[in-house]
Amino acid sequence: MSTYLRQLAAIVRKDLVLEFRSKDRLVAMGAFAVLAAVLFNFSLDNASVRPRDVLAGLVWMTLVFGGLLGVGRTFHLEAEDDAFRGLMTSPAPKDAVYLAKVVVNFVLVYGLSVLALGVFSLFLAVDVGANLPGTLLVLALGALGFVALSTLFAAVSTGTTMGETLLPVLVFPLLLPMVVFGAGATGRLIAGRPFAEVAGNVRVLGAFAVAAVAAGAVLFRFVVEE
Amino acid sequence: MALEARDLVREYGSVVAVDGIDLKLAPGEALTVFGPNGAGKSTLLGMLGGAMHPTRGTVSIGGVAIDPSVTSWRHRVGILSHRGFLYARLTAAENLRFYADLFGLDDPEARVAQGLGRVGLTDRARTEARHLSHGMKQRLSLARALLHDPEIVLLDEPYTGLDPSAAAVLRNVLGELKDGARTVVVVTHNLREGLAMATRVAIQLRGRFVWEGAANDLDAVAFERHYHETIEVAA
Amino acid sequence: MSTAGVRRGGTALTLIGLAGLIGLFWLSFFWVSTEVNQGVAQRIFYVHVPAAWTSFMAIGISALCSGVYLWLRDERLDRAALAAAEGGFVFATIVLVTGPLWGKIAWGTYWTWEPRLTLTLLLWFIFLGYFMVRGSTEDPEKGKRFAAVVALVGAIDIPFIHVSVLWFRSLHPQPVVAKAEGPTLPQDMLTTLLVGVLVFTVLFFGLFLMRYALEGLRAELQLRERRTSS
Repeated sequence: MSTYLRQLAAIVRKDLVLEFRSKDRLVAMGAFAVLAAVLFNFSLDNASVRPRDVLAGLVWMTLVFGGLLGVGRTFHLEAEDDAFRGLMTSPAPKDAVYLAKVVVNFVLVYGLSVLALGVFSLFLAVDVGANLPGTLLVLALGALGFVALSTLFAAVSTGTTMGETLLPVLVFPLLLPMVVFGAGATGRLIAGRPFAEVAGNVRVLGAFAVAAVAAGAVLFRFVVEE
Repeated sequence: MALEARDLVREYGSVVAVDGIDLKLAPGEALTVFGPNGAGKSTLLGMLGGAMHPTRGTVSIGGVAIDPSVTSWRHRVGILSHRGFLYARLTAAENLRFYADLFGLDDPEARVAQGLGRVGLTDRARTEARHLSHGMKQRLSLARALLHDPEIVLLDEPYTGLDPSAAAVLRNVLGELKDGARTVVVVTHNLREGLAMATRVAIQLRGRFVWEGAANDLDAVAFERHYHETIEVAA
Repeated sequence: MSTAGVRRGGTALTLIGLAGLIGLFWLSFFWVSTEVNQGVAQRIFYVHVPAAWTSFMAIGISALCSGVYLWLRDERLDRAALAAAEGGFVFATIVLVTGPLWGKIAWGTYWTWEPRLTLTLLLWFIFLGYFMVRGSTEDPEKGKRFAAVVALVGAIDIPFIHVSVLWFRSLHPQPVVAKAEGPTLPQDMLTTLLVGVLVFTVLFFGLFLMRYALEGLRAELQLRERRTSS
């Protein structure tokens, strides 16, 4: 195993262990998904809105808002006892640090979005079983693109005096492609349309995720420089 | 030269924290930098360890100017701050294992066991860092800083808040570092401990070295008087 | 070029741009023929489109300067990136004001998710983020790096946003916008539009250079203050 992968794996393992021991973000994000579903249910007028038509949009909004809630705290984990400086003065390349954070955040946000899909399906009584693998793939690509951008900008906002308050202003304008293509594809798959119909969306989502990860890996070093 | 700094300057906006410091240290030398709070000591140490980028000037290790964006030279530097760089929810052994992986050390398990033994924490290997006493945490972060056997050791206020047992361990381990091959820089305002480990001494005020000298021909009492006069004049 | 030279150049270009703006207004109010379908309101087009063009050029310049700044760390590049972003912000604001004014009269609603208008709205927020990160860092060097990252990622994202707003519109029928553009544009309208683009570009570069020179002077002043205090 190359040193690079060993360093990346060490950070991923460390963060996952910390996450599962403290459960802070797991519980907060999980609760967010369920509670958002409850509130959304009561904010919709069932007489005029068919849940089936809005489910995809709600799942994606939950991914974005709940995801930002969790990803915004990525670097707080490192702040206690100045641990981040220890990481930054170690030989681990900055892009390995970034990619490790992306992997961990992806696990959290993807988990959140799958949970949201399940909970919304249950609460709003919509069957999402048609094309489930396709739906999960679309959510995965969306979660990856989202996490790539929001992890980079979480590092930015953590370094400002405004903290997480700044994060939505920086990230939301950039997320439009992901929401448009992601929610569009999810909606059609849930409606039972064939996967081939959304293949174009999936390609754009994939390209978006790849571009976001690449940009983050290159630019992260400039954000964490002291 | 093992460690060399040339005209090192660091500005934060309009504040100048380090204002043109030069230093040259050979292997086996140990420099202690004294100075009051706000003299820019931690900033100096941050730049020597590559945690901070200098606004101007260069730091060289073994005659090669370091580039903070390159990682290869970081194996040669160990940093101990009064903040421990530890993760509270990882055990003592896991904390060290994490650093062993970051530094790409061979046989990490053995290195971790050796590191714990060195600071007397072998029986606490499986205790989460948050359940360790303050002194034990300090010993653990000392083990972390020296895990990769660095030739350049940078210590930022190492004695701050230490209990007597931890201070004794620290003194022991720092004594082991006097093997002639290592270069040590300590910044502190603790005069007694600072002088004990130094071969050279400097006083830093407002980002500059205002006094430098060898430690072995230094009269501790006279130096103490000189130091207090210097910082009082400055205040 | 010296700061004073840049300032003089900026002032000259701005004056030429302002004179050109008067000419553009004359052309678009008195010379160009009225568009058949939309009537007089369509004349706002000769301000709207050049302003949009300029704001997208501005994010391009800002991102380019930001990228090279991160590489070379030359303060002048950061100043140029900031000056371009401020210009772009102003011109994007013009687009967002003229768009709804036009829209209300042309198709009866202030806001539609017309792709280019949507894109400009998001661009406006990218610029806003750019200024917010600069303003909320204690260490100005950090603010410059953060802002450079915002500009770069914003510029990379814009093609994606563009594709997505076009695709979104292809799905959702919108009020038909009689877009007066392309080869079908009558000669006099095309001429006026091109004059508009030229005038706004000149005006942008005039303001850009003046703003750039101002930042240079500010840095010089800071340096002098520091010298006298130490």
